[in-house]
Amino acid sequence: MDKSILAEIVGDSNTGFKFDNALRNESLTSNGTGAPKATKTGTTIVGLIFKDGVVLGADTRATAGSIVADKNCAKIHYITPNIYCCGAGTAADTEFTTNIISSNLALHQMNSGREPRVATAMTFLKQYLFRYQGHVSAALVLGGVDSTGPHLYTVYPHGSTDKLPFVTMGSGSLAAMATFESKFKPNMERQEAIDLVQEAIESGIFNDLGSGSNVDVCVITKGKVDYLRNYAKPNERISKLKSYKFARGTTGILKESIHKFDIVVESDAMDVV
Amino acid sequence: MSYNGTAIVAMTGKNCVAIAADKRLGQQFLTVDMDFQKIFPITKKTYVGLPGLATDVQTLYKSNMYRLNEQRDIEPKAFAHMVSSTLYEKRFGPYYIEPIVAGLDKNNNPYICGMDLLGCMDVAHDFIVAGSADENLKGMCENLWEADLEPEDLFETISQALLNAVDRDALSGWGGVVHIITPNEVITRHLKARMD
Amino acid sequence: MSLDKVLKYTSASKTNPYAFDDDENFLKRDVTDNISHFDFKFAPVLKPAEFAKSHIDVKSQKDSLIKLAHGTTTLAFKFKNGVIVATDSRATSGNVIASQTVKKVIEINPYLLGTMAGGAADCSYWERELGRRCRLHELANKERISVAAASKLLTNMVYSYKGMGLSMGTMISGWDKKGPGLYYVDSEGQRIKGNLFSVGSGSTFAYGVLDTSYRYDMETDEAIELGRRAIYHATHRDAMSGGYVRLYHIKKEGWEFIGLEDVEDLYYKYNNQE
Repeated sequence: MDKSILAEIVGDSNTGFKFDNALRNESLTSNGTGAPKATKTGTTIVGLIFKDGVVLGADTRATAGSIVADKNCAKIHYITPNIYCCGAGTAADTEFTTNIISSNLALHQMNSGREPRVATAMTFLKQYLFRYQGHVSAALVLGGVDSTGPHLYTVYPHGSTDKLPFVTMGSGSLAAMATFESKFKPNMERQEAIDLVQEAIESGIFNDLGSGSNVDVCVITKGKVDYLRNYAKPNERISKLKSYKFARGTTGILKESIHKFDIVVESDAMDVV
Repeated sequence: MSYNGTAIVAMTGKNCVAIAADKRLGQQFLTVDMDFQKIFPITKKTYVGLPGLATDVQTLYKSNMYRLNEQRDIEPKAFAHMVSSTLYEKRFGPYYIEPIVAGLDKNNNPYICGMDLLGCMDVAHDFIVAGSADENLKGMCENLWEADLEPEDLFETISQALLNAVDRDALSGWGGVVHIITPNEVITRHLKARMD
Repeated sequence: MSLDKVLKYTSASKTNPYAFDDDENFLKRDVTDNISHFDFKFAPVLKPAEFAKSHIDVKSQKDSLIKLAHGTTTLAFKFKNGVIVATDSRATSGNVIASQTVKKVIEINPYLLGTMAGGAADCSYWERELGRRCRLHELANKERISVAAASKLLTNMVYSYKGMGLSMGTMISGWDKKGPGLYYVDSEGQRIKGNLFSVGSGSTFAYGVLDTSYRYDMETDEAIELGRRAIYHATHRDAMSGGYVRLYHIKKEGWEFIGLEDVEDLYYKYNNQE
């Protein structure tokens, strides 16, 4: 795209996203040096409404292509003290989108003097995501309890939303939804709800390759949040039976310098061979 | 990642962290420099490794140093968030960099953090890898790393992880440098490596 | 029923209009005739050559394409006491170093050597076939084949597959009645006689070293050291070359294997001398 046209579209504003590397990156790609892979969350994220509130659940795997980039990342993001949000999609987008909305809601609370409602968070999110036409790739499960009771939404990357009693998202959503469809009941007890969420996430972890590792759970009830990080760890790594510690002096050193805090000491170069 | 070639790895140890990088700067398969700096000191106990497109390595380093003119040391965690925001600002025209921050915080607790090119942070308790040899490094580290290594043992582990990873990557290597950050000192060592 | 029949694979000569339809003429160009013709299987599509090309690529880094082992430095030069042949030993597949111990010199027979650059399988297959034909020539004519004739056999063979995806850049060197012989042959059908060649991604670096010090009247030790240094410097600068330097010297009595040296040792040896 012509630079001037690009500037016309995005404007020369000092705020928001910057596009100045875009043209260069395009030409690098055409020269055969593509961009490094962004971290994605293949992800199984779920939420359901039970008797006293909302339970959110997520797996903890982040991927870059076929590589597991992070084995224990946190996909349940804080929005306000009474609202949390699970994120799937491009990891950076879910992280920063929820952060921005969290900040905006904090300001909104200070302006209005009221505890933010889940519907407000949902509206902020959908307006933000719609503005970027799906390019900010965040698929979210938003849940919380406000003055009007428990609420649960899904927000899609293009800005559409759903309001349902039980929801799933991400690449493991089919596996998780199968569990919900067969076992969900309205007005479940707290432990019953947590168990069902755990089961749904685990079906994602075991049946979807994009999801894995541990189960995070977040229980939101009126005036109380229990963020149960690593609620279940069904994939604990078996520890090594013996150590691979190298004998000191294994690695050849050409040069060494030691920077002592406050004092600097330079030692002689060691033998090359 | 694959234009200039890089391998950077950071590991935690017992009251210490280590960060190591190769020294090659290439233009695809042509090796241009064998003493290229990829790890930069931010404060005395915080270092940042910048693997990726060399032009962005230098641009990002300079822009972040400029913003650090605060007359006091920044905590590694705060610094990592700053770099992360700098990257996400360019969400739709990103820097081709996957930074690694390694340091000891004010209580001398180890902190290592990796990021993707959009700024998504990965705070790890064990190790972080990035660069054109990242898959090789991941394999080495999964195998070699263990908890609570003393600084000298951590040096051997991180060095062997780096050297053996770059020996199977055509685009990185040509020497290596390791910084071991402890509460009292930073030890910098240049490694003997294959030069092909 | 065999798999090829089930899939209706047919040899190119029977149905494929784009392959050599006059197989017979191709054979007659050979020095030795009366050899059974090749019967390679082609992809069961209209244009097998195009099909092969669209799936095999040595240059791009696209994951979808089959990658051939490539990236090499090989060299050979004539001097007063014969021919020096030297190669590195690295094979890369994308950015990954697939092997550091590849033998890129093909010992065709005790008097002929071929080098390997491009597709490893193409080089080893066709140079082995060349070895067989050279032996047939010996049996038919009661004398060893000349380097000129041997290299021409190879060009003729690969030329008949031109455009079908073969990838080969080789130097055929040896000793015959006329003395030392050296030819460059590639899969495009080129065949060039010369005193000094280098082939592969690291060849520019090797040429730089060779051209600086090369003289025809070098002593043998000097020539071997030149070959060694040229490969070493190429491995140093070219990411796709590395591993070990493999050296041969071809004399009147045939080729002699000089040695295999790790370039890591060479680096620290050369740098401590300075």
